[in-house]
Amino acid sequence: MFRIIKKSLKIGVVTGQYRRAEKPALPIIQEAKDKTKLFKRSLAIREVDTGSCNACEMEMNALLNPVYDAERFGIHIAASPRHADALVVTGPVTVNMERALKDVHKQTPDPKIVIALGDCAIDCGMFKNSYAVTGPVERHIPVDIRIPGCPPRPAEILEALSELRKPTV
Amino acid sequence: MTEARPYDDLLKATFPAIVQGDPVCGESSHFQVPKDLLPAITRYLHTQPNLRGRLTLIWACDHRPVRDAYGLHYLFTLEVSHYWVVLSIELSGNERLFPSITPHIHAAKWYEREIRDMFGLIPQGHPDLRRLVRHEHWPKGMHPLRKEFPWDRVLGRQQGEHHFRRIEGEGVFEVPVGPIHAGIIESGHFRFSVAGEPIMQLELHHFWKHRGVEKLFEQQMLIGAVPLAERVSGDTTVGHSLAYCQAVETLLNLQVPRRARYLRSLFLELERLYNHLGDIGAMCNDTAYALAHAHCGRMKERIMQLNDRLTGSRFLRDVLRVGGVTRDIENRQLTDLVDELNRIQPDFSEVGAIIFANASLTDRLETTGILNEQTAWDHAVMGVVGRASGRDCDLRRDRPFAAYDELPVAVALYRYGDVRARLRVRGDEIHESIRLIREILGKIPDGPVANEPSCSPNPGDWTLSAVEGWRGEILYMVMAGEGGRIHRCKVRDPSFVNWPAIQWAALGNIIPDFPLINKSFNLSYAGNDL
Ligand code: SF4
Repeated sequence: MFRIIKKSLKIGVVTGQYRRAEKPALPIIQEAKDKTKLFKRSLAIREVDTGSCNACEMEMNALLNPVYDAERFGIHIAASPRHADALVVTGPVTVNMERALKDVHKQTPDPKIVIALGDCAIDCGMFKNSYAVTGPVERHIPVDIRIPGCPPRPAEILEALSELRKPTV
Repeated sequence: MTEARPYDDLLKATFPAIVQGDPVCGESSHFQVPKDLLPAITRYLHTQPNLRGRLTLIWACDHRPVRDAYGLHYLFTLEVSHYWVVLSIELSGNERLFPSITPHIHAAKWYEREIRDMFGLIPQGHPDLRRLVRHEHWPKGMHPLRKEFPWDRVLGRQQGEHHFRRIEGEGVFEVPVGPIHAGIIESGHFRFSVAGEPIMQLELHHFWKHRGVEKLFEQQMLIGAVPLAERVSGDTTVGHSLAYCQAVETLLNLQVPRRARYLRSLFLELERLYNHLGDIGAMCNDTAYALAHAHCGRMKERIMQLNDRLTGSRFLRDVLRVGGVTRDIENRQLTDLVDELNRIQPDFSEVGAIIFANASLTDRLETTGILNEQTAWDHAVMGVVGRASGRDCDLRRDRPFAAYDELPVAVALYRYGDVRARLRVRGDEIHESIRLIREILGKIPDGPVANEPSCSPNPGDWTLSAVEGWRGEILYMVMAGEGGRIHRCKVRDPSFVNWPAIQWAALGNIIPDFPLINKSFNLSYAGNDL
């Protein structure tokens, strides 16, 4: 017990020890912002992997580590799409995952926003036109926000999410 | 290449009908085998105590348009000496049947089903011919790796449903999990049959994320396919791209400068470091031990930020190229690296001591998810999972690549095969990686970091390359095509071999422990599904 307290005191607070990202590369449209307004300052996210290389997932996971600690912005991960306000989709949509993605989208209660995370989700990236890929996310479900990168850094994801929820003047 | 080939005479004396083939690479022998002799010779290799052949890879290749034939190749690693033996059979003309070796070598079962799906060749005598990669909604007759199948074809859809193996009886019920899971993890389906608490049977239904990677390789140039290899499994960026680069370098007869080989080892160890740190944290998290998770997540993040500073990519993307590495690491950056290691090492030692001293954690981990040595051997399990089950194998020591011929590696080995053993292997490997990185920094020579390729390979030449990634053995088979293109590239992530073994490790455990067991394996879905 003593050891744990000592360790914690020694390390101190690490939150925020990262290089800030620049403005989101793709602008966030007003419509998406309006939709998000309803969720006020809390956003429950459900992550769906439709065929990513798993680096995008790892960066989503990194958002929850003490350094980024996305929870301090009211962002949390919901265990079921039925509890979610937003879907984060990574990867090109494979033929095998197409149905599952549409299902999840249907299960998520309205109002909802869809975030395409990473180049694959936006335009299939390196997997474009493959027989096993049926197209980018927006071909199957409406996408509100795109966060490009391969993979986008956690700081960039946070930046895009905070831009999304910034009150418009 | 004129090394001694100690096993050639033995095999030729035992099976006079086999014909010596062209050498493939490094310490290996290659034989053409008559089709009907295949089961006998594979069984001989697998069961002889003085050979102990572990089935390492099976791959098929469509030789059209050069020859109207399919080649099937079986790679065995002889455990006694880590020597490779490749057996090849050929199906010419309209032949579509080949003898299955699954009845006596379990480890072959997914390979043969995969070949059936991708090439439409049928393993005769295979006990389970359900579809594997092609889900049931794929129309009949779609075999993507046949040469006549266009890479950008639009698949249709048919009705179909996957049939799971059923256990019937009073009180037995099934629990389906996936493809989409509760946490932020990849997509895959698990079907549990339980009666009360304990798992009676677990069946995997994967390949949801099949993206057609091997077919995409065939559309690329040999030199230019490194970015695709990096995206086979994102967390193993260096492992996959290194294995690919090595294969192409063998084909092009290209030497890699010594400094570049050291840098490659450095990157591979950094990758091992951040993944193992993350895994230890995630395993603790699955036992609701949030404190350890937070500390490990913090250290992992430090390494990833270090990667970013060193190379401009948190996942070490774009650092490898055919012939060497894309950028040198300056001395100033090396100092940064040493500083970071000096901080991480005592930090991890302290956290490790806290973790391993925790009695309630130990209670959860010990005897959970046991994979015993025999089962591990039967399924040819290797990597971290293998080493936790007493399978003493590590390519860095057994078949050195990059700079490992000059860097002796101490291999972590545990015998219990439970979750705790897998945790301990990772803990030991973190210390070993840090030690290796220090040794690399002490020994790294000056010089150029890349050589330019000068010749192009003959169409039809092929080679194998193996890398010990952080999960285990990554294998690439690359065959050159016309004009510097790729004719066939077989990718094998360690996950493809280790996934079936999890079905055995889970038996008798309760479902709430399964996430923990799964985390302790931590296999890639992307690398498995391709
Ligand atoms: S965008 Fe890049 S990192 Fe993300 S899934 Fe695709 S290939 Fe992987």
